[in-house]
Amino acid sequence: MICFDETILTKQSQQITEAIVERVESVLVGKQHSVRLALACLYAGGHLLIEDLPGMGKTTLAQALAAAIGLSYTRVQFTSDLLPADIIGVSVYDRNKAAFEFHPGPLFNQLVLADEINRTTPKTQSALLEAMAEGQVSVEGETRQLPQPFYVIATQNPLSQSGTFPLPESQLDRFLMRLRLGYPDPEAERQLLSGSDPRLKLGELSRAITPAQLEAIQTAVNQVKVSDSLVDYLQRLLQFTRSSAEIDYGISPRGGMAVLKSARAWALMEGRDYVIPEDIQAVFAPVCAHRLPVSGGEHMADNFIQQTLNSVDII
Amino acid sequence: MRPLWQIPRNSLFWLLLSVVISIALHLEHLPPWVALAGIVATLWQIQLYRERWRQPGRLLKWSLAGACAGGLFLHYGRMNGLEPMVALLFSGYSLKLLELHHKRDALVLIYLSYLIIILQSLFSTTIVSSFLVLIALLPVTAALVAMHGGAENTRPVAALRTGLAMLLQAIPLMLVMFIVMPRIGSLWAIPQKTSGTTGVSDSMSPGDMTRLGRSGKIAFRVEFDGPIPAQSQLYWRGLVFSGFDGRRWDQQGPWGYNDGKFLQWSDQGLEAWDSVIKRRGEPLSYRVTLEATNSPWLFALSTPLPQSSTVALSRDFRLVSKNPVNAKLQYSVKSWLNNQLEPESLVGWRHKLELALPSGFNPKTREIAEQWREQTPDTLALINRLLALYNQEFIYTLRPPALGKHTVDEFLWGTKKGFCEFYASSFVFFMRAAGVPARVVVGYQGGERHPTENYLLVHQYDAHAWAEVWIQGSGWLRVDPTAAVAPERIEMSFADLFSEQADFLSASPFALERLRHIQWLNNLRLKLDSLDYAWAKWVLGYENVQNDFLLSLLGAINPQRIALFLLLAGGIALLPIFIMLYLSRDKNTRDELDRLFLQYCSRLEKMGLPRRPGEGARDFAQRISRCAPGLAEAVEHLTGIYESARYGEEGGTEVKAFKTALKGFKPSREELLSST
Repeated sequence: MICFDETILTKQSQQITEAIVERVESVLVGKQHSVRLALACLYAGGHLLIEDLPGMGKTTLAQALAAAIGLSYTRVQFTSDLLPADIIGVSVYDRNKAAFEFHPGPLFNQLVLADEINRTTPKTQSALLEAMAEGQVSVEGETRQLPQPFYVIATQNPLSQSGTFPLPESQLDRFLMRLRLGYPDPEAERQLLSGSDPRLKLGELSRAITPAQLEAIQTAVNQVKVSDSLVDYLQRLLQFTRSSAEIDYGISPRGGMAVLKSARAWALMEGRDYVIPEDIQAVFAPVCAHRLPVSGGEHMADNFIQQTLNSVDII
Repeated sequence: MRPLWQIPRNSLFWLLLSVVISIALHLEHLPPWVALAGIVATLWQIQLYRERWRQPGRLLKWSLAGACAGGLFLHYGRMNGLEPMVALLFSGYSLKLLELHHKRDALVLIYLSYLIIILQSLFSTTIVSSFLVLIALLPVTAALVAMHGGAENTRPVAALRTGLAMLLQAIPLMLVMFIVMPRIGSLWAIPQKTSGTTGVSDSMSPGDMTRLGRSGKIAFRVEFDGPIPAQSQLYWRGLVFSGFDGRRWDQQGPWGYNDGKFLQWSDQGLEAWDSVIKRRGEPLSYRVTLEATNSPWLFALSTPLPQSSTVALSRDFRLVSKNPVNAKLQYSVKSWLNNQLEPESLVGWRHKLELALPSGFNPKTREIAEQWREQTPDTLALINRLLALYNQEFIYTLRPPALGKHTVDEFLWGTKKGFCEFYASSFVFFMRAAGVPARVVVGYQGGERHPTENYLLVHQYDAHAWAEVWIQGSGWLRVDPTAAVAPERIEMSFADLFSEQADFLSASPFALERLRHIQWLNNLRLKLDSLDYAWAKWVLGYENVQNDFLLSLLGAINPQRIALFLLLAGGIALLPIFIMLYLSRDKNTRDELDRLFLQYCSRLEKMGLPRRPGEGARDFAQRISRCAPGLAEAVEHLTGIYESARYGEEGGTEVKAFKTALKGFKPSREELLSST
């Protein structure tokens, strides 16, 4: 059914992407750019952190994505009394077999939506983050593989931080991108208010991609060409963040690799088999903003990233 | 409220430092409260930057400006003149610190800093202050650099380094300009300083010379072509006082002569009265470097003939400068030590003037003088008799007792203690009372020989007053009554004589001269002085030899040659910088594709469509397509080739394709206009 010839794949990736974006957009109105970024994050094999106020569509985005991609999906609402065992799973004694039997927790799904991740204790956060980094969990001395592909979409609420445990920088680093959805534009909002609740359509969403296609796309992302001058450009961007006096320390090499991987996915989604500076510019803010230690609020980080992109020329 | 614009942090740092340095440079001649206002403004700006204090309101700023102008007027009593103007500029400069609202305000402040620092040269041109001025330019330049530095350069040190490099690069050009640029004296005429004269003044009353004896400042330096004459020959004649009002001696106007102009300029031939000067033997040839005195009179050995065009010989055989000496002045003189001045006759009114005495003063002296005249009709014998009196009973001291109304009577027959002006004054009074024409001469006597360099240092404490007596047949004869009472004053230098006395140099508590008994400090002082003298001679005095030097360099001085030389020498001076720039440019040469892309960008920029910094080729093309749909096709085509060549598969053919496509890409304004 699907031919994996390279040039055809780039075209196909674009088509598949458009199909997924269209389906997700029918539920989450007017957020095409965020949807594309979220998709790029998944193509690049990274985990996604969505940070916004309640009611902005964080959960809807995650649910629609899961449905459109056709992954097995669970949602875990993180609370302060959630324990690692609650998400990983527990062994229960089976009297018939006279043995302990492992009951997998919600983590044993391809797409896990970790809602309000900053509400739970660092202990549970660490359990989740270990699973994210390794793709496996250790329970009672036994290491169990998580299903492939394994994605975590976490959400957090930047306001009302009382009683929360903000993720430290080292754990924020595990997320490839951090997105903010923001308010819809007036037209999208009017559409949202006048029609029926688009979330009702969530159940009707059909998958637009097969697991094999997703795997093929993920392989193709790694084959997207990155030229020397593009590497130079990226390096100059990273260097700029490190030499600036406005922030204490710049983007780490791991951050740089994350940018490049996301840019590759973005290029593939655009139907290209090579990366251009615009790809890097498109993913730079969502990949880097949460990796920058900026004092003085989130606006400073956004301004600084914009300043970086405006200051470093492409050649 | 946050200001609309904020000066870069590093620029502010250097700017404030420049302000503080300017204050320090001008501290000596600013009213203290103006300097204080500058410091307060600096602190205020710091607090503003830290958002601790608020911007001063319009009313406060206006009233501060008014207060400064009014305060300066009260302080100086007038607004014209150098010092009030500098102080006014300075207060404006400090107040400008309080309104750094826009970039242009900061730039004005930086440019003003340059001006204010350079203004220091109007007050002092010694080697130390010249170097201080050069060093002070550094933070200002750093502030300017930091102002224009991008967001990447926020460290003060980086700006300083760039500023230093720029200043160093400017030095060759500075040297060329120094050598070639003509000194336009009259255009730069400086308003006179308002502070009083330094050195001898145009009148003399008891105590004036004593005051000078307490100052260790340099008056002038003399370099002789031959050996330096004996100490007792070194009478540096400056002013001649013929008028006496009972206490004060002063000059009497140059009216009444009818044998030529009062001043004889060396480049305008000899006046008729030059014949009354009998010059005999070989002249001494020397150059005097006079410190600023703010007065026109100059000093020379009797009888002088000036060799510089700005110096004239006056009818009473003194040297006079064309303009008041506001800065160091160097002039050449020939002096005939063996001479006779007006030996045949004295003009009638002059004869009368040199005998005039105020009535009602010093009756005792007049009486005794008449007695002595009868007893000793020979003038020379009379002089010797009076000198003998001084020699036997009088004491030479820096601390003379105060005198009442009849100064001469009290001194001659009472206190018998005095400094040179007491002796000169009483001697001349006595001579006039005895019917001998006589007058007081002030100037300097002696000087300190520099032990290693061949020049003479004359200090303010060498100031001296002596007498001249006119005798039929021999003309004006120098008589120094001080030599009679204290011959060692004339034989030795003044400093050697008085270094033990407490009053010596009491006006200069920090002068190195006070410590002349410490050998190494004394050597250091002399070494510093020879440096300063070399500076005055070669750098400040260059304008005296500039003409000759340029003539020998260029053959002839005309505008074309000067311009040609400036271009050539300037070019040579800048050549190393060009080479450096060229080499450093070579290092990061862009490859052909990027050069072609930049060409493409610059063609669009000329159409008013510049690429934004950081804007990628595709975003750029899309923007152009929106603004100028007429160009869309060509731009999209070029961008496609560029992108695939730059970021896609490697291959030389596509560079060529881009080149070919670029050749055909000649956007014109018509296209742009028709498309919009």
